[in-house]
Parts: sequence; structure tokens; C-alpha cells
Amino acid sequence: MVSPTSRPDTAPPRRLGRRGFLGSAALGGATIVGASSLGALDADAAFAARGPALDPAVTGVFVAGRIGAVRGTLLYVAGGSGATHHVRLTNATSVWKARPTTADAVEVGDGLYARGVPMPDGSVAADAVWVNIVNLRTEIRGLRRSRIHLVHHHRELVGHTGPETAARYAGGALTPDLGRLRIGQRAQVLGAWRPGDGSVDVIRVTVGH
Amino acid sequence: MTRATDALWAGESTWFCCGPSWGPCGSAGGGACGDCRADGNHAAWPHLSESCWELTRPDLCGEHDLPRRGCGSVLTVSHQCTAAAVTVTISDCGPRTHEFCGEGVCCDGVCLTNRVLDLTPAAFAAIGSLDSGVLPVVITE
Repeated sequence: MVSPTSRPDTAPPRRLGRRGFLGSAALGGATIVGASSLGALDADAAFAARGPALDPAVTGVFVAGRIGAVRGTLLYVAGGSGATHHVRLTNATSVWKARPTTADAVEVGDGLYARGVPMPDGSVAADAVWVNIVNLRTEIRGLRRSRIHLVHHHRELVGHTGPETAARYAGGALTPDLGRLRIGQRAQVLGAWRPGDGSVDVIRVTVGH
Repeated sequence: MTRATDALWAGESTWFCCGPSWGPCGSAGGGACGDCRADGNHAAWPHLSESCWELTRPDLCGEHDLPRRGCGSVLTVSHQCTAAAVTVTISDCGPRTHEFCGEGVCCDGVCLTNRVLDLTPAAFAAIGSLDSGVLPVVITE
């Protein structure tokens, strides 16, 4: 599944286009020297500066699907429509899988969202990939020491909590204190899906009033 | 009210999954309009219909007079603090604003409050990072 993304086209790029940089990295397979001069190479930093973070002259693409094979830096991704997409990881690709990580963490069977630039060979040079990421509107049905029992779309879902799990209560700041979660609360859960058993590692749980 | 000058509205945007997908999102379906897809630049709007409004109730958070926009309406969504923007088509009802009244997200010292938009992963990733979960956005037509 690949779709174009939109970019503003009213201001000139203030620096070397990130997409051009990615394209060069993918085509050359090169080690990227002096990457820090382009800014930190993570997904947030790509949007940190004012002005277009990506080269507006190039239309970006987005890929969603399951990873069917990993061959070197190339991911074979089965989209929902049945098509297979080729997503290429470069030295400039930011990878998220429950936390910022490296390409080594990507496995067959993982779910994937990827943002990148189309290459002449039909592949996508990824700017950022998010592996198994979910952002779910749920209801809390049970609370245990290291688990939250949730319901999402009328289906039960186990959320694993750990030292990295943070909570946000009624618009307040993030806190590691999960003790104010209550059964029956609506909760937004940002986490990482575990393909093996269908559960989710909870990264952040947000509840309202 | 958080309507900005020359903008249809401004506030917080989250992201959601819809259409054919994997994991817990596999049961999400095509949304209220039937054509929502995670890899499309789509959005959920709290005032898609009167029945949708009853689910989202942004007025309970002070977001009165949020205009009604139906399936297929086109919006431009811009990050509050960068020039990143994406054009989206409304294809679902949401988010449930009232469940998170007062929640805000800030950048450059400016905070926008209340969830007034849900974006698909493709649309959200066009203007920010999915692992941030929420973004401050300005919505225009």
C-alpha cells in the first residue's frame, strides 16, 4: 500500500533536501559522512526546524503492511491490497520499535509503517519506519502489576507495562506513576504490538478526566 | 474555543488506524464513510454528522460551533510550528474529544488544546512522527 503525501510548496528548502540525501544514501549504499550537519537523523528531528523539513520538490510516499522478508537492508512488505512493496533502509533511516532502535530489530512478521521517497527501481528509500506501532482508543478493564487488560473495538487486549511505560492524566505531564489508572477509564494507548501473541507493550497511556 | 485567525480550527491531532491493516488495527474497518485506509491521507472529524457529534461532543470541552463537514470534504492540516502540511479527505467520525478535555500539546511556547482531529498514519506521518502520538495542528480549507 503506497500513497503520496503532501508537502508545502511555498518556501524554498533551507538546506540539502532530506529526500535527496536519502535517495543518494539508498542508491549509493554509502556510509553517511557528516550527517550531523544535516541535523539529527530521527523522525522528530526531521520536523523540528521551521520551514520544509523534506524537499518539497519530491512527492513522498507512505507504505503500510506486514514484513514478509528481510534481505539485507531491503524489506519486503505485504500491503493490505496484496501488493508487495520494497522498503529500503539507509544509514539515514530512523527506526522505531517500542523505542528508537536500529534496523537489526526489524523482523519477519512485524507490522510496518514507512515514510520515504520513491526510487527509480520502484523501491522506497525510507526516511522513517515505525515497526508494530499502535495508537489505540481503549477502555481499561483490569489492572495488574505488569499488565493492563484493555478492550479495543470490542476485543480484549493485554497491555504489558514496564519501567518505560508512562502515563498522562487529564492533560498533565507524563509520569511513570501508573497508580492513578482506574478500571472503566477510556485510555489512549500508544504502544508496540507483539505479533507472537497479539498483546501490546504499552509505551504511553493517556486518560482524561 | 481555539479557532485561529483564517483557520477553520486549531487544536490537537492524534492518529488512528482504519482499513486493511495488521495487529489490533485489523478489525478497524473503513470508518464511517467506508473508505478510510491507513495508507491514505484521510482524517476523522468530530462533526461528520449529528450522530457523530453525539459521540465526540467537543462542545463539552469548550469547542463550540465546530463546523459540520461530511464524508469527502477536503482539509489542509498544518503542524503548528513547522511548515509541514498535508491535504486530507474526511472519511470517519472522531476523535472523541470529550474524553480528553483540556489535553494540550505545545511547541515554540504555544499550546493548542483539545483533540479536534484524528489522522491516518499516512497523514500524520506526513507532518510529524507517529511515536509522538499527538501534534498541534491548524486546519484550513
